[in-house]
Amino acid sequence: MFSGGGIEKKGKIKGISQLGSISSSSSTGGTTSSSSSSHSNKSGSSSSCSNNSGSSSSGSTPPGTPPHVQMASHESLNSESKSSSLNSKLGHESAGSPSAGSPSPPKSACSSSSTSTDQQHHHQLSHVLNATSKMTVRDGTRTLRPDEPSLVPGEHLEGTAREVTYLCPYTGPKKGTLSVTSYRLYFRSPDTDPPFELEVPLGVVSRIEKVGGANTSRGENSYGIEIFCKDIRNLRFAHKQENHSRRMVTEKLLQHAFPASHKLPFFAFEYCEQYPENGWSVYEPIAELKRQGLPNESWRITRINEEYELCETYPAVWAVPAAASEHDLRNVAVFRSRGRIPVLSWIHPESQATITRCAQPLVGVSGKRSRDDECYIQHIMDANAQSHKIFIMDARPSVNAVANKAKGGGYESEDAYQNAEVQFLDIHNIHVMRESLRKLQEVCYPHIDNAHWLSNLEATHWLDHIRCVLSGALRIADKVESHKTSVVVHCSDGWDRTAQLTALAMLMLDGYYRTITGIAVLIEKEWLSFGHKFAQRIGHGDDRHQDADRSPVFLQFVDCVWQIMKQFPHAFQFTEDLLITVLDHLYSCLFGTFLYNSERERMEKEVKTKTVSLWSLILSNPSDFENPLYNPATRHHVLFPLTSIRHLCLWDKYYCRWNPSMRQQEPVHIRFKELLHVKGQLEKRVDELRKELAARQTHDSPRVASAIV
Amino acid sequence: MSSYRRSKPPGGFKAYVDFVEFEERPIDVPEEIEYGKAEPQLLPGEIVIAEANNVLKFAPLKTNKTGISGTLFITNFKVSFVTSLPVDSKEAEMHDKSLQSHFLGVHDVCLSEVDMVNQFSEGFTKKKRLFYNAPLPPRLSGLQLVLKNLRMINFSFKFTPAGEDLRVAQALLHHAFPPSIDHLFLSCGYPPPPPGIPDFCMAQDWERELQRTRCPNWRVSKHNEFFNLCSSLPTVVVVPRDLLDAQLEQAAQHFQGTRPPVWCWGSLAGAALVRMAQISPSITDKQQENRMMGLVHRCHPKKLQPTILDLDQILPSLKDIQISYIKLRELHTPDDPSQFWEQDRHYYSRWESSRWLSHVSKCLDVAQSAATAILHHNSSVILQESEGRDLSAIISSLVQLLLDPQARTMRGFHCLIQKEWVSLGHPFSARLGHTRNDVEEQCPLWLLFLDCVYQVSVQHPSSLEFTSEYLVALWHAAHCSLHSSFMFNSVNARHTASAVLQRENPHQPIYLRPVWSWWAESYNPPGKKQNGPSEDNLKRSSSREAFLNVHYIQNLMESLSASGAFRRISDPLSSAYHTWHRIESLLGGAGSLPFDSTATVVPLQLDASLRVDVTWSSLKPWQDCFCAWVSEPATLTLNELESTLKRSSPTSQHWKHLYQMYNTLKNHLSEGLTNGVIA
Repeated sequence: MFSGGGIEKKGKIKGISQLGSISSSSSTGGTTSSSSSSHSNKSGSSSSCSNNSGSSSSGSTPPGTPPHVQMASHESLNSESKSSSLNSKLGHESAGSPSAGSPSPPKSACSSSSTSTDQQHHHQLSHVLNATSKMTVRDGTRTLRPDEPSLVPGEHLEGTAREVTYLCPYTGPKKGTLSVTSYRLYFRSPDTDPPFELEVPLGVVSRIEKVGGANTSRGENSYGIEIFCKDIRNLRFAHKQENHSRRMVTEKLLQHAFPASHKLPFFAFEYCEQYPENGWSVYEPIAELKRQGLPNESWRITRINEEYELCETYPAVWAVPAAASEHDLRNVAVFRSRGRIPVLSWIHPESQATITRCAQPLVGVSGKRSRDDECYIQHIMDANAQSHKIFIMDARPSVNAVANKAKGGGYESEDAYQNAEVQFLDIHNIHVMRESLRKLQEVCYPHIDNAHWLSNLEATHWLDHIRCVLSGALRIADKVESHKTSVVVHCSDGWDRTAQLTALAMLMLDGYYRTITGIAVLIEKEWLSFGHKFAQRIGHGDDRHQDADRSPVFLQFVDCVWQIMKQFPHAFQFTEDLLITVLDHLYSCLFGTFLYNSERERMEKEVKTKTVSLWSLILSNPSDFENPLYNPATRHHVLFPLTSIRHLCLWDKYYCRWNPSMRQQEPVHIRFKELLHVKGQLEKRVDELRKELAARQTHDSPRVASAIV
Repeated sequence: MSSYRRSKPPGGFKAYVDFVEFEERPIDVPEEIEYGKAEPQLLPGEIVIAEANNVLKFAPLKTNKTGISGTLFITNFKVSFVTSLPVDSKEAEMHDKSLQSHFLGVHDVCLSEVDMVNQFSEGFTKKKRLFYNAPLPPRLSGLQLVLKNLRMINFSFKFTPAGEDLRVAQALLHHAFPPSIDHLFLSCGYPPPPPGIPDFCMAQDWERELQRTRCPNWRVSKHNEFFNLCSSLPTVVVVPRDLLDAQLEQAAQHFQGTRPPVWCWGSLAGAALVRMAQISPSITDKQQENRMMGLVHRCHPKKLQPTILDLDQILPSLKDIQISYIKLRELHTPDDPSQFWEQDRHYYSRWESSRWLSHVSKCLDVAQSAATAILHHNSSVILQESEGRDLSAIISSLVQLLLDPQARTMRGFHCLIQKEWVSLGHPFSARLGHTRNDVEEQCPLWLLFLDCVYQVSVQHPSSLEFTSEYLVALWHAAHCSLHSSFMFNSVNARHTASAVLQRENPHQPIYLRPVWSWWAESYNPPGKKQNGPSEDNLKRSSSREAFLNVHYIQNLMESLSASGAFRRISDPLSSAYHTWHRIESLLGGAGSLPFDSTATVVPLQLDASLRVDVTWSSLKPWQDCFCAWVSEPATLTLNELESTLKRSSPTSQHWKHLYQMYNTLKNHLSEGLTNGVIA
């Protein structure tokens, strides 16, 4: 839902059908059927376009090209690939809607309109639409003006500015009305048919800047605001000085985009949609540990941290080696950074090899040791009878691990920890990752430098980092699965890289986490309960956009999941739509799920009772996220993805989704849904004909027919 | 043990290695154990030339430990490694997706596929290239074969009896780099390839093409019947109707390679696609060139000015393309894991600096503008190029792929390639280096073309009837001598080679098998005994599923499931009927591709043209092709067979449902027909 915050709701069909005829410099042209050739002549002759494309692809879209190109971004290809398929169909009738489950907009007669495209955008949309339709029912007394957004329950309109121009980097300026609500920014331009609409949840905003001063601005569209978003977009709006609308808009935006800085509550606390499923109950720590077979003779469940005293960033419930007493745990906590002691993440159902996670030991420059910690690690090793060895995976590059000694941290020495082998996984810290994403954003948005696309992409090192994380997780999975050896994972604090590694290794090892419920459990468990600092890393509602604590750690994890999904299309119950929805609401602040830094903080703020969980949305609409290609038999398989860069690729459906010139492949699962639909249709027709035949034969010669029927 | 095992009289084999050289074997070769029983599978006419026992074969980037032991044979056709040990899963997969899998085993390599032979020392510390004309070192510890399709195979002679290693190496070097094409193993005789595949060497094929496209004012000329007009063109060419044969002959002399302009495709509205050579450098007056252009101009029913594309000017040179290819070859043939990982770090920027994608982009761009000229401006397009045999083949076939829906079908694509590449004389032998003399002229234009088609398939996933795996298979097929479509420089060269072989083996039928016979061969493997039918069926469906585009067939099915179409399915005049028969020929049990020469010509409709986005960021490195053979060096110690989930094809479930739909329809139709009712 809200797919990336920005949605254009109605009439995208028409927009796309025009899209097909934009001159190819915007590189969207998919099929040129002879019937549409008149269009292409209109928008810049198509012979010239093929000459200048390539050289001038950098968005030299002529003004006056149809709207919605921006929003249509990831739809554009789909529509075209679909239309190409339509073209090759003989006598295809537009009747067959492939999206059986989700409501799909009526198809236009033009063959280059899309069907499958809308579907995915659409099913994310459908919730919004549902929500809004409910809203109108409830608020039946007041009718909405056409240029006002339809609101979700709990949302209210804060202000409206007219004669604002949205400077779309792809399709040029559009004049319209800008509204700010307590949840989103909404822009609508009636100039085009259908009207152009843009929606951005304010949680996505990372920075708002005024462009041009009252006296200094000359020239058209030089006075206004620029909005920088966390989801790789920047939006620019130009205001008319004489309207004095900029001030109001900026104020409202600042207030609602950064509630934390203004001591205001998040919108999640006002959102009051009712979902049939309660997502807050998807993860019950005890139930999940029981699923893994705990407690057993070597592992027990402890509530020592019930009041979050021993470790305030850890969850209330832990699974620890049965051999370690509560007293031992307290002693170990002293030696581990922030009291984050090794706690069970996952246990192999057969070999009992485990993945445990923790923070770095407080070794320091002097090389301190802790008898209790050494014993504790020994207990973890002993809990697995299959192996007399244990691996300690330090996610950091070894240089960083050594450098941490100066700050009192460090890593386990193999002398002190008998039978332990320390391996460094070379994953860089949050600052490096943030910088990498910043570069990636530059490369992807707004325009792609085609001549250097691949080398620019490489220079961001984004895929390098993805490779490191993936191959680290792969190494952990390999040790557990093939060597039957337990692994302890840590980085510095054990809430960033550690969470990436354990969660990915668990995803590879345990097919449960590859289901819709399972991924929710995995994220709730490894990320939320173990204290990945979402509030800090994302900066929810905080206006300090340059805060050094921000970093796309979770985004990287989701990217890794996508990479594995790509290599094993049958092994996941969900599609990438789920991942994109999760990422969108990571920023949107519509749901309480990702708010705050730890379980403890969420308890204090009563998030579970006062907000809605993202999983409520997902679990209430599972059909929108289900992968039709999923083969449940893969539950029992272990996935070992390839991790060389040549086998990884940029997730363009996420990173480049705003860019209409970037084509994305039509996902196979959508074609498969269509196939199932066609199959059903075909079978129906066969049945019909059979009946007809029988009827006719009854009419002609009753005796024969009775034999057939 | 005799040094030669002959399965049959020497057949097409022409020995140019001195027999005596191998006759005296050292006595100390142990007449060995069970390895001695290992025999390669030989085709009729194929003979063993050398063998080495106890050879270890290992995939590149793998340590010696993972090598498998067996016997290495060099025959006059292939390098054959015979072992009883299980096959590497990757190799098996590639073998299944090969068009030659019926006469090349999973461990076999056709001699003409060999690009380079290197020797390497123990532990791969030193590597040195071996040449056919240079002396061999006294002892080889290992041989590395680098194939033209970027595959690498390493053989270690650590346990091989002394002397056998050298004999094998010598035989390999002699036979893999023949002085001329007819030294290759081109014909295995029996059974003859299936008849009826259009080869565009006959007048009828060109006439049909004229008839199908309905392009007016062009005629078929048989003036080149004895290749006296031009040796690189087929015996029949299509020329302007007003051009007399005598004028044609006169004009030809003025063009490079004596190639006059020829028609290759056109539309009903009159726009023709013409390939034309440049005027000979020795001739200064452009009279003939202008005259020819004037004729093309006059052929157009509306007398519109033709568009002339000088490909030498607007496209990269062959040399540039070759340089790009060499860079990509280096990138995809790493020697050891450390090199692999080093390259991997800069993988994408190396792709970019190879400039290969830029060449792809330019070709697609030019093809697109030509297509636009034809479609929107109804203008004839003349593709001019030095001899008109290289880049113009790429552009011309791409234009047709974009405009002509038939070219996007399996059969139409065969015709397209046969017409533009084989018949109109793309110098395959020179460009792909099939003989030892061709080294200088190499340039993988064929691969460049296939890559362009791949990009089209990526951008229009359901508009081509075949998959990118089929394109990979076609690239690999270009190096295998037994499928000789892509072996010769011209039709003439093919005739000559065939005649030479016939003269040497007067009592044997000589068949040069076109690559297109693979479909039929998968039912009747040549030179092999029939296997159990069940196994055959299995294989057939797997190669079909790999090569046929499930989304394309899904579209066909979709068009049938619409109610109107569905009712007309048994009406021979309806399009539904034809669609159904297409599906039937693809999924059903027919043993040959639907090359039905008696079928009525379906006229060309220009209503479903494709547009490609040629910006670089929209083009994808063709991993399926370039990374086909190099597997990631194992970083793990795991037992791969046991615990990994195989990366299965994402379309396998598609196929299951498609077959179900097909069967439903088939049952229904047979029901309907027996009752004879459906109106």
